[in-house]
Amino acid sequence: MTNHWIDIGNADCVLIMGSNCAEHHPVSFKWVLRAKEKKGATLIHVDPKFSRTSARCDYHVPIRSGTDIAFLGGMVNYILQNKLYQEEYVKNYTNASFVVGKKFDFKDGVFSGYDPKTRKYDKSFWAFEKDDKGMIVSDPTLKNPRCVINLLKKHYSRYKVDLVSQVTGVSKENILKVYKQFTATGKPEKAGTILYALGWTQHTTGVQNIRTSAIVQLLLGNIGVAGGGINALRGEPNVQGSTDHTILWDSLPGYFPTPRANWQTLDEYIKANTPAPTRPQSTNWKANNPKYIVSLFKGWFGDAATKENGFGYDWLAKLEPGQNYSYYWAIEQCKQKKMKGGFVFGVNPCQSFPHTHKVRAALDNLEWMVGCEVHNSETTDNWHRPGVDPATIKTEVFLLPSAHRIEKEGTISNSGRWLQWFDKAIEPQGEARDFGHIMVPLMNKVRELYKAEGGVHKEPILGLRWPEDFKAEEWTKRINGYYEADVTAGDKTFRKGQLVDKFMDLKADGTTSSLNWLYCNSYTEEGGNKAKRRDLSQTPMQEKLGIYPNWSWCWPVNRRVLYNRASVDVKGKPWNPDLPVIMWDETAKKWVGDVVDGGGAPLADKEKGRLPYIMCADGVGHLYGPGREDGPFPEQYEPVETPLKTNPFSKQLSSPVFRYFGEDMKQMAAPGDSKYPIVLTTYSMTEHWCGGGETRNTPGLLEAEPQLYVEMSPELAKEKGIKNGDGVILESVRGKVEAIAMVTYRIRPFKIMGKTVHLVGMPFAYGWLTPKCGDSTNRLTTMVLDPNTFIQEDKACMVNLHKADKLTEIG
Amino acid sequence: MKSTRRSFLKGIGAGVLALSLGHMGFSLKEAHAYARSLKIEGAKEVHSVCPFCAVCCQIIAHVKDGQLISTEGDPDFPINEGSLCAKGASLYSMYTGKHGRILKPQYRAPGSDHWEEKDWDWTLTEIAKRIKKTRDESMIVKDDKGRTVNRLETIFWMGTSHASNEECACIQEALKGLGIASLDHQARV
Amino acid sequence: MPKAFFVDTSRCTACRGCQLACKDWHNLPANDTKQTGSHQNPPELNPYNLKIVRFNDYMDEKGVVHWNFFPEQCRHCVQPPCKDTADMTMEGAIVQDEATGAVIFTEMTQKLSAEDCESIREACPYNVPRRDEKTGMLTKCDMCIDRVGAGMVPMCVKTCPTGAMSFGEREEILEKAKKRLEVVKKDFPKAYLADPNDVNVIYLLVDTKDRYFPFASVQ
Repeated sequence: MTNHWIDIGNADCVLIMGSNCAEHHPVSFKWVLRAKEKKGATLIHVDPKFSRTSARCDYHVPIRSGTDIAFLGGMVNYILQNKLYQEEYVKNYTNASFVVGKKFDFKDGVFSGYDPKTRKYDKSFWAFEKDDKGMIVSDPTLKNPRCVINLLKKHYSRYKVDLVSQVTGVSKENILKVYKQFTATGKPEKAGTILYALGWTQHTTGVQNIRTSAIVQLLLGNIGVAGGGINALRGEPNVQGSTDHTILWDSLPGYFPTPRANWQTLDEYIKANTPAPTRPQSTNWKANNPKYIVSLFKGWFGDAATKENGFGYDWLAKLEPGQNYSYYWAIEQCKQKKMKGGFVFGVNPCQSFPHTHKVRAALDNLEWMVGCEVHNSETTDNWHRPGVDPATIKTEVFLLPSAHRIEKEGTISNSGRWLQWFDKAIEPQGEARDFGHIMVPLMNKVRELYKAEGGVHKEPILGLRWPEDFKAEEWTKRINGYYEADVTAGDKTFRKGQLVDKFMDLKADGTTSSLNWLYCNSYTEEGGNKAKRRDLSQTPMQEKLGIYPNWSWCWPVNRRVLYNRASVDVKGKPWNPDLPVIMWDETAKKWVGDVVDGGGAPLADKEKGRLPYIMCADGVGHLYGPGREDGPFPEQYEPVETPLKTNPFSKQLSSPVFRYFGEDMKQMAAPGDSKYPIVLTTYSMTEHWCGGGETRNTPGLLEAEPQLYVEMSPELAKEKGIKNGDGVILESVRGKVEAIAMVTYRIRPFKIMGKTVHLVGMPFAYGWLTPKCGDSTNRLTTMVLDPNTFIQEDKACMVNLHKADKLTEIG
Repeated sequence: MKSTRRSFLKGIGAGVLALSLGHMGFSLKEAHAYARSLKIEGAKEVHSVCPFCAVCCQIIAHVKDGQLISTEGDPDFPINEGSLCAKGASLYSMYTGKHGRILKPQYRAPGSDHWEEKDWDWTLTEIAKRIKKTRDESMIVKDDKGRTVNRLETIFWMGTSHASNEECACIQEALKGLGIASLDHQARV
Repeated sequence: MPKAFFVDTSRCTACRGCQLACKDWHNLPANDTKQTGSHQNPPELNPYNLKIVRFNDYMDEKGVVHWNFFPEQCRHCVQPPCKDTADMTMEGAIVQDEATGAVIFTEMTQKLSAEDCESIREACPYNVPRRDEKTGMLTKCDMCIDRVGAGMVPMCVKTCPTGAMSFGEREEILEKAKKRLEVVKKDFPKAYLADPNDVNVIYLLVDTKDRYFPFASVQ
């Protein structure tokens, strides 16, 4: 989230799209309703199905799954055609005036630089024009036809309301109603927020869905202001924190790329990942990256991290450039019998991953697997799944009992980036342990083996700063960071072993450590463990905004609204004087309010003034985004499985660069395949958690939602001779699934390009390990992936269905 | 037994209730032993956080003699203001439920059709041996272009956003020591 | 001073926090349920669910879909007919607490016959009481009398995320309900308070009662 939960209450218009927050983040809806009460906000829900969110919004707009870019692209066009953008904001705080290089082009749905053999773009084709000092060329008059704003106009001029309506299935009346109400927040004193979740990310165009919303919000001047922003409602309990600490193949903690084989030394790595500013007045915060990177390595390897070994960089794994190592790569490696062992901790791939049949069969090929769960899962018990003879599965499985949240202590980071401490209330049941009390002794055993026997590349294992025992709060401190040597800065001296006060104090010379620079300042000598803070005190300005700076702590440096420098004009005056996030005190020459993004003065000061988007080398928001894998402007492509044979927007049917592994494309329905004419979208539910592992084992929740269902319109049900409550069998190219029919007006048939297209929706919380509740919905879904994130297209695939003669999975 | 739903409806319609009840009101203290003692009385309040979505509602766990007695929303936390959803409201039975909870390390041998209970030390020792054997056999120290890559592609790590920041940092550090290339978690599902 | 609940269905998102919180606070086990084409589960109040959320959707003549939610519980009638009915057989089986107005089914209800219990259920204008066939107890919401006695609000009210439920002194709650009705009427002209003078659990309904369920209100 750019903003935070309470701040939703400051919005004048709440657009919920790609999220069903009343069901999946139920407590967030308190703040959605607060916006209505406090600001008279209009609440809009754009989503394939009418849900509990829709029920409490002002209105619901049904949209065909996978057409969000068409819908929002139309809004971009509407804003530009009707000059509804916030001009001063767009001119000063976005790249609207930047001049794009001559190699950029867009033809027949494909951008320039495309290589059909590799199915990849050469992104250098999209670069900006630069002057001889390496600065991006800009035309403040906006007259140059290659200015971003002019290319943007041209690109989205194709997104006419008629066409948008035909593709999305949304009526023209509804389209214009949403456009009109949401774009009314383009006035400086108004704010609109967008709330999204997996409904946007789980597409082959997931990143571009969000990019389109960023374009809308930048045009309307809604980023950085109270009640604005693009708010990713993070789903999982600590997914913000686990992402910050990057349990991810592609990044290191604090969001640095994983080392690659072409960066052999620390110097090469740092050079490649420390950008230079590309515009005057750009803060270019990432110039500090070397300090954070070296402090991270120092944190991992302690005294073993020396200048000579690149502070441990030399030991780290270097990935093959261009190669992906995500979940789905691992599954494909299992399938090809290249993977030998695996750790599956608190995740259920045999239930929650798409194309589940592939996943289940692939894991059979492992030599050994270690599961760590609160309850047995469809993955830990994959070896005796229905239809499989355990004698044929040669995998050794170790299953470790995991402690529940209440049985351990530590911190989590909520979606608004608040760091919250939780205490241990009771001892773990049985012999269950938290992950720390598993990893620490396990690694100590591995270290003993390497010490005693030697082994391949033992240096990083033995070089780790590794404790004898796991104590959560010691790691909270290590995440914040320590001085590793006595350091004198100005008139102050810091002793080795003291906590570092803030990330501005981190060093690139090995004299400081921090396991995550973003969290530096969360645990300090002066403030102690700030995650434990429970102080509700506020200034009147904070009270008005709903900011609680003394409750817990928020990264970075307790800044509660990201990009808050964009909430003021070039002189530092708030766009909305009623709800100022920050403001420039001209007399005192300082910022007042939230912790300001970066230092310096307002932009109008040509010397000390700074651009608002401090994490971008050019200092501005990106209407044109040349860094993505699939194009600088979002473009409407069909999902890989689609009811259409052609894309009405261009000759390119689906994303030209979506990814897949192995032979997965052999198990896909052809475009417009009459055997699979119905769109399936999948979702979570309020009463169960993701794959349902914990909640299916909570009797009261299973009582409330006991079995797998499929929501369908009365029109489709009639066509198929299905009554409410009937057993149904759904089928895609990849598998069959049983479900109970929930026939409801909450699902409406769509008119797409003049033809009726039906859509059905299913949760994915049910698995065979809970008797008679149904089995994984994901046996139907596709493992085709967004090229930027490698997130799967769970939200749209093609199926058929019929009434079941009998049910075996549900009883 | 004369009073029926219909007579009540009629009573309302007439503006008079046929049967006058209110003035007979009992005080529960004196009357009948329904009134239950407050189960959380004298319990210790422990601050925790709901383990589900990233609203991260804060909760209070009531603990007596080391046992969990009840859980409810933390009224002081400015986001949930004491409230919870269905999942958050079920934490007490979720945490105390014996249903399906794994209580001891388990081992399933190749081709076996059952789990065997094991102790922690044996289990971690055996896993450590598997890690070392697989790693030593297949660690890629140099790639085919002669570049140092120190990469382990034959062991994967999946999960989890259920882990705390401290657990994540600990897991991350271990994986960096081992050189595991494929690590991933619910940021994707 | 009698207490009252205000249940503003215009704010209810059917998250079922109340349904589950009630269950956990009262240590009630789960029923074995089935999916029958509805989210409403268990389908009816029962000895293990003193509170359930009802779901009712429809499409109007303009093609607009509506989905109404109703967190159902005992209304703690000002003058409870269930008590009157029970008193005829056994005084003390059902009592009304003077301090709070809570209508309580005591353990003595175990001694009532199944027929008596059925009559009590029949007497209830909202079809709330349910007999536990295992113990013979007649069951329903007890206003979390243990919590209220200790100065806390009932668990369902405590748990509600959206402010759909509130609890307090009857006079203040009634005032709050009336004020809220004026606001809600701007969006929902049909909105009304269900039997506010007769019950201590006052519902604000945004739609006609047949769009909730037959026992949503008497009026």
